[in-house]
Amino acid sequence: MERTSRQLVLDTLNFKNTDGRVPRQIWTLPWAEFTYPEMFKKIQDDFVWDFGGPQTTYEKLPKTQGDAYEVGTYVDEWGCIFTNIHRGIIGEVKEPIVKEEDWSDVGNVHIPEELLTFDIDKVNEACKASDKFMIAGCCPRPFEQLQFIRGTVDLYMDLMDPPKKMLEFMEKMHDFYCRLLTKWAQTDVDALNMMDDWGSQNALLINPELWDKYFRPMYKDYIDIAHKHGKKMFMHSDGYTLDIIPRLIDLGLDALNCQIFCMGVEKLKQFKGKITFWGEIDRQHLIPNGTLEQIDQAVKSVYDNLWADGGCIAQCEFGPGANPDNIYQIYKTWESIR
Amino acid sequence: MSTTLVEMSEFLQKGRVKNVKELIQKALDEGIAPKTILEEGLLSGMSVVGEKFKKNEVFVPEVLIAARAMNAGTTMLKPYLVQEGVESKGTVVIGTVKGDLHDIGKNIVKMMMEGKGLNVIDLGVDVSAEQYVTAAKENDADIIACSTLLTTTMGEIKNVVDLVKAEGIRAKVMIGGAPVTQDFCDSVNADSYTPDAATAADVALSFCL
Ligand code: B12
Repeated sequence: MERTSRQLVLDTLNFKNTDGRVPRQIWTLPWAEFTYPEMFKKIQDDFVWDFGGPQTTYEKLPKTQGDAYEVGTYVDEWGCIFTNIHRGIIGEVKEPIVKEEDWSDVGNVHIPEELLTFDIDKVNEACKASDKFMIAGCCPRPFEQLQFIRGTVDLYMDLMDPPKKMLEFMEKMHDFYCRLLTKWAQTDVDALNMMDDWGSQNALLINPELWDKYFRPMYKDYIDIAHKHGKKMFMHSDGYTLDIIPRLIDLGLDALNCQIFCMGVEKLKQFKGKITFWGEIDRQHLIPNGTLEQIDQAVKSVYDNLWADGGCIAQCEFGPGANPDNIYQIYKTWESIR
Repeated sequence: MSTTLVEMSEFLQKGRVKNVKELIQKALDEGIAPKTILEEGLLSGMSVVGEKFKKNEVFVPEVLIAARAMNAGTTMLKPYLVQEGVESKGTVVIGTVKGDLHDIGKNIVKMMMEGKGLNVIDLGVDVSAEQYVTAAKENDADIIACSTLLTTTMGEIKNVVDLVKAEGIRAKVMIGGAPVTQDFCDSVNADSYTPDAATAADVALSFCL
């Protein structure tokens, strides 16, 4: 009997995929769907996809306002106000909720406890009805959410010497994320996930010592929650993150979506067999401007350097600026490899 | 060099606003010229931070707090500098190009340029070619500095270069941001590309001399 998508992904994460294909997933921003509707559909139709996310319902939902992907103002679940200038991609916070240096106004932040009211039975039904590898419907992002709450520049500065109220808030936020992940871990999903962009183009955004002090313990708890419940843990992090990859491996992270090409596949080779590279293919240069041959080479270099009976997922993002033919070619090449 | 200025530079590198201000007062009391305080106490500290940032020895937060201390210091010194007739070394108009909201890199470049004694006018994000050129004209700027982090908005840089040429203004166009390369810079005929903020500030200063 042919292996299910769920089993294929698990075998890949466990480095036991000796004879199956490389599991596939595509990320799309709304931009892709309305700019290239035909290619968008063709890609969906021409390949088998291995990942899913369970639908569920909530007893109560946190208040949000507007649409994150439309031009104008969007207010997220925490009350953070985004200004967006481009349809189909996200905007940026221009008016922070926490304006005081000592975080005395942090009471204005809403912790979206409502997200804990999701229906476990519905999640389990969805998991049962599908043979895809199911990822939970929540995604903690402590560093980014703090930036959205306080504004990027101020948050970075506050991190150098955090005021007491900020540290207290970080604990509350972390406690909320732990409870949310725990509830998701009690469902039948296969994996939990989290995200935070940690790199600029050629370095980490913050000192690794600060990372170790404030964020490593949080990620450790999230990964431990997943593993305690027999789930895999996935993470997304953009930029040049080379210096924290060993730390994430140490914490037991199963799969990382990172900018492979901004670091260079050669430098990542050392992690082959230790973590699964959950994509990607370079969306800064290759996907927008590369030739089909360059795409072939890029995919092959990922496979040659990072595959070890698993350890790779064929993934990329179909986002602003992408050449749709290149997106198609990425999956064609993966398919031709195995 | 005076120990007060050495200490000032060291506190600035650690982002210690209060200490920097106290030492400025001390230096003034000691009769050190405001221009010397600016250059040897404040700007020299920022240069050290810039070099360390370039070598990945310090990161964005360290740069931001050092710049905050520098700004507090220059604000305090300003009246004395004006009195002495000290002028900025040149004027830069900076912004993130139209369609792009990323501004961390742009802010760092701005701070490094200020750290070289340049007057930097920040137009913010989502800045059109017309806005850059109008601001450059109004301020008789030496430089227009464009930041872009998205491949989709890199094209805007060409619009800026073309408009600068069409309007015949003297400002040099400097460009940068994660996806930008020297090849791209050559292809749009911009005056300079640098991969990092510290070098950008050095180049900017050289354009003003
Ligand atoms: C942080 C970040 C964000 C933050 C921005 C916060 C803010 N206030 O700026 C948020 C979350 C809001 C964001 C949003 C988006 N982002 Co973003 N983001 C990043 C990330 C991780 C880091 C950028 C950064 O701040 N670096 C730190 C600074 C210090 O570095 P820097 O900007 O490169 O600047 C340095 C140099 O380049 C140079 N420099 C910079 N400007 C200038 C100017 C001059 C004149 C000179 C000389 C030098 C110079 O000096 C600086 C210091 O040395 C990058 C990853 C990456 N590889 O860069 C993605 C990245 C830029 N983002 C990306 C994307 C796709 C987006 C979104 C479209 C995502 C979405 N889901 O909708 C939105 C778009 C928002 C918009 N409309 O603009 C992509 C762009 C891909 C592409 N095709 O180009 C990247 C590359 C990530 C990726 N995986 O590919 N992002």
